[in-house]
Amino acid sequence: MGAAELVNRGLRDRIRALIAWSIGIAAYVALLAATFTSVKGSENFENVVEDYPSALKDLFGLSDVLLTTGRGYMDTELFNLMLPLLVLVLAIGAGSRTIAGEEEAGRLELLLAYPLRRRSAVLAKGVAVALEVAVVSGVAFLTIAAFDPVVGLDLSFERLAGASLALALLGILYAWLAVAVGAARPGRGLAIAIPAGFAAVGYLVNGLQDLASWLRPFRFVSTFWWAGQSPLSTGVRYGGCLVLAAAAVVALAAGAALLERRDLQVP
Amino acid sequence: MPGTEPPAIEARGLSKTYPSGVRALVGLDLAVARGEVFGYLGPNGAGKSTTIRLLLDLIRPTAGSAAIAGLDTRRDGVEARRRIGYLPGDLRLNDRLTGREQLDSLARLRGGADRATTDDLVRRFECVLDRPIHELSKGNRQKLGLVQAFMHRPEVLILDEPTSGLDPLNQEEFRGLARETAAEGRTVFLSSHSLEEVQRIADRVGIIRNGRLIDVDSVASLRERSLRQVEIRFREPVEPSVFTTVDGVRVRSADGSTVRLAAPETAMDAIVKEAARHRIADFVSEPADLEEIFLELYRENDGGG
Repeated sequence: MGAAELVNRGLRDRIRALIAWSIGIAAYVALLAATFTSVKGSENFENVVEDYPSALKDLFGLSDVLLTTGRGYMDTELFNLMLPLLVLVLAIGAGSRTIAGEEEAGRLELLLAYPLRRRSAVLAKGVAVALEVAVVSGVAFLTIAAFDPVVGLDLSFERLAGASLALALLGILYAWLAVAVGAARPGRGLAIAIPAGFAAVGYLVNGLQDLASWLRPFRFVSTFWWAGQSPLSTGVRYGGCLVLAAAAVVALAAGAALLERRDLQVP
Repeated sequence: MPGTEPPAIEARGLSKTYPSGVRALVGLDLAVARGEVFGYLGPNGAGKSTTIRLLLDLIRPTAGSAAIAGLDTRRDGVEARRRIGYLPGDLRLNDRLTGREQLDSLARLRGGADRATTDDLVRRFECVLDRPIHELSKGNRQKLGLVQAFMHRPEVLILDEPTSGLDPLNQEEFRGLARETAAEGRTVFLSSHSLEEVQRIADRVGIIRNGRLIDVDSVASLRERSLRQVEIRFREPVEPSVFTTVDGVRVRSADGSTVRLAAPETAMDAIVKEAARHRIADFVSEPADLEEIFLELYRENDGGG
């Protein structure tokens, strides 16, 4: 009962931010989709990319992808870097704002003085930020799906839906990681730095593993490896999605358990 | 039967030592009865807020335990907090909400508040409900904090410096509310650093300093001992030793025609009569500050032990 109010409040407090994010993402996707009409079928464009060093192509996910096709274009321009990046910024920001942010602002004291289990508070905050991520990922999905027939992207609906799901799961994992770090230790800085650092390392490991073979054994730590590259062109890694979801649940549960144990920090 | 009911608040050997080594609370033993207004008095940093946060399970004791109406604050924390209305010492609300939105949200978080009680409280304190909280003064925020603490008619109120920021009118309103609450058999535990304030509201007072409860006493007997600082300016030089014949009086300083005394309220009559033997230019009597009273208590304790 009380926890439901935390979800409700968490979302209401973010309604303006969510609207802004949704408009921004939709506009960005629309702009890219519109420019696709001038790239479509252009051999020159393909040749330019063909001449890129393979290291760069690997890093930016340009291997195995035809830029002049709708799916290759959307993979390269959106799903391989830009959308995960944007969703991660939203997710880590939102996640760190919950327990860590409210504790830093001194608001957590009153909240935890109410008859509410701390783990319920963490889970409720988790649900709220997951919904935020889901809304923004959903907006990306809907905008792409709407432009598909207009500019002739010719996408597989199943792959687009799957790629959007993987995007949302990736975002939820990082949001919950930020919630969990804030639950485990006071301070918003750490709740941003740890997930962001983890994302940066994971991105590099995944991007460079073909170039630097010694990195290959470490590809399992990369959430981007699990989420899969170029999902529209090469298919969605549903198994990887399950791993992301499981990791997210473990992170949030650990955060809930750790907040139960520690002293609240008061400003 | 009152005898079999557990006390509203009970602490047994309650201690908190922070990882830094700071001993914020040392072996607190305390029982606050139902229907009592208990004042928890001490200077800033004495351990008042630490005690209160332990009672609410916001921080965890390094030794000992506490219970609210017999419910252990650690094991049955949720049930214990259901019976508590809490006002933090440093109240932070959701600044972007209006007062009404904040109170509604907190009521839902609690799983419901008493509508009539809430309306009554809002009226009594003349709360500003329709403006965003960030536009409100400290006093107006504090009033919202009081409303949320009382709005579900809790058995136990734990209020950390409840009158801070309130104007005198609202302070009086609060005192009335606390007395009514106690008269209904509910319990009010409030912290303060002002002896004057606590004397006006509490039945009993606990005095804490450096993390240790040094005295628990009824307000009546505290008042008997309550120390005044007296400064008398005479028109002619006066030998200060004439005042030391009065019981409990101590000469703090004297220079010719000005005499400064520390004296319990009970000695005032004798002091005035003694002083009246001489021509007086000015007579000032004011409550001693808390530190002075603590020093006096320590002197007593040393003398007794």
